[in-house]
Amino acid sequence: MNAFVTPFLEIKELRHDYRQPDGSYAQALRLDHLLAARGEALAVTGPSGSGKTTLLHILAALIRPTCGEVLFDGHDLFAAGHSAARWRSLSVGYVFQEMNLLPDFSVLENLLLAAEISSVPKSDAGERADSLLHRLDLWDHRYSRPSELSLGEQQRTAVARAVIHSPAVVLADEPTASLDAENAGVVMDLLMGLCAESQTLLIAATHDEAMKKRFERVVNLRRPVPAAVGPELVSSREVI
Amino acid sequence: MRLGVKVRVSLRHLSSRPFQTISAVFVVALSSALAVMLFLLAQGLRDGLIRAVEPFDLIVGAKGSPYQIVLNTVLLQDVPVGNLKWSDYVSLREDPRVDISVPLAFGDNYRGCPVVGTAEDILRIRGGQPVQQWIDVAEGRWFDKEFEAVLGAQAALESGLLIGDTFRTSHGVVLGEEHDVSFEVVGVAARAFGPYDRAIFVSIESVWESHDHDDDDGEEEKDEGEVTAILVRPATYPDAYSLAVSFQHDTERQLVFPAQTAIRLFSLMGSGERFLSIIVYSVAACSLLTTLLVLYWSNRDRRRERALLYALGAPRGTLVTISWIEGTFTLAIGALIGELLGRAGVYAAFHLLGDATAIDLSAPMTIHEAVIPIIMLAAGSFGGFLIALSERTGDSASLKIR
Repeated sequence: MNAFVTPFLEIKELRHDYRQPDGSYAQALRLDHLLAARGEALAVTGPSGSGKTTLLHILAALIRPTCGEVLFDGHDLFAAGHSAARWRSLSVGYVFQEMNLLPDFSVLENLLLAAEISSVPKSDAGERADSLLHRLDLWDHRYSRPSELSLGEQQRTAVARAVIHSPAVVLADEPTASLDAENAGVVMDLLMGLCAESQTLLIAATHDEAMKKRFERVVNLRRPVPAAVGPELVSSREVI
Repeated sequence: MRLGVKVRVSLRHLSSRPFQTISAVFVVALSSALAVMLFLLAQGLRDGLIRAVEPFDLIVGAKGSPYQIVLNTVLLQDVPVGNLKWSDYVSLREDPRVDISVPLAFGDNYRGCPVVGTAEDILRIRGGQPVQQWIDVAEGRWFDKEFEAVLGAQAALESGLLIGDTFRTSHGVVLGEEHDVSFEVVGVAARAFGPYDRAIFVSIESVWESHDHDDDDGEEEKDEGEVTAILVRPATYPDAYSLAVSFQHDTERQLVFPAQTAIRLFSLMGSGERFLSIIVYSVAACSLLTTLLVLYWSNRDRRRERALLYALGAPRGTLVTISWIEGTFTLAIGALIGELLGRAGVYAAFHLLGDATAIDLSAPMTIHEAVIPIIMLAAGSFGGFLIALSERTGDSASLKIR
């Protein structure tokens, strides 16, 4: 538990409700407490509808939770004056399940555009993109459009894009769900290796048992129940 | 994100859907071109007619439609209303209220160029800018005896005649039966910037003589001593109105103020122009609506891409700007092509009309011609902004796999 000496992420009493068409609210996520350190790799598991994606969206400040606190380095992510776009562009890398890349741009352009949004200086972005393309075996595909790539190559590109600006946290939403076992293994190895090297916190939502085993900690979310009873946090290997 | 990158992203979006983009550009270009053409044609015809009318202070002609007199005398179009007696000209020439009077006789042509029987006094008539002396000799000399001819600048080009050449005129305004007598070219007039550039000037006596000659053969009716119209420059402005009053109750002759007739003609043209304007504005509005619909659907198609950019950290303002640039660029290119197409169409129309009538048609660049393209651009740009704003949310739901 040495990793928790300086907690990078702290979640307190987090809850998110969705408004339903009939006007009532449905609970989508409930997470009482979570601590995580830089460089950690954390898997979030649970059945469909248990709030895995909602949790990642909250951590990326794409949505504001109904209540609770999300602290990064002790600063509330949703405090007044905190820019969500700035947080995402500078500190977050996101990997989606599929259809992850901008279809009208080449592999290289997808990387450079992400770097541009994150205000990475042009020369640094070029060097970093070249290095990642070599490392992820995408160099020969750098001018290819996403539609010309296999699913595995697309996910490797998404991994490269997520880390090109050296973010503090990488959020991965079912990153291997569309891949076969071999490609899934390659993508996860690369993602975990890159995050570990740069002391980046990796939080990946997955329901794949084989993937879960790769993570040192797994957070299991349960499907929320109606009324005020929300999903309970169950940690399979670590108690938070 | 730097502006240059936003522009590149927008252009890439546009180029990735070439059919949608080209369709939108096409409808905007077409309606802009129609608007520009309508405006420039109306403006060019109006200005050309005003320039053509300038040398004609007053025209005295046979009783009939004043429009036909103007068409026939000023624009050298259509057939004459009728003829006046030579004595009508003589009495005007000796009238103290008249400074210059010029007899004009029409009805013959050479290869479609109208033959104008006239007198040397025509050289005293002054036109407006850029011409000071309306009819002037550029090469050779003015005719000084019968069966000598001076070619208008355009007539010289069209007929291919040179000084010293001889030719035979035909009866009528287009081709017709040839007269028996020949004319010799003795000079070429400078450009008059109007219909008289297509004229072939001969002495009025030559016209009578050529008709007399035919009459000797028993082929034509005798019309010696007649003029078709008299161009009158009054001594003073009050004299012009005094002359008008003199002709008010004349049953055989009439005095026409060509400028007033032209203004009435413009007002008649104006009604048609207004109707055409309504059609053009409607077309422009429809094309604008179509373009906005294309932009709207294009924006909807890009929800997931926008959500991705948003998730990567692009601020909402950046997403709105990218969508807005796409719309504005489409409209701007459409409006620019429309302006160029409109101008090209007008120049083609002016070329054809100008060759046929020798009216000096020109369309100097003005801001007014660009009003519809600019309105379309501004309205479309604003509409595109509203669409971009309504679709601005890179909403997280779009990031979910469905």
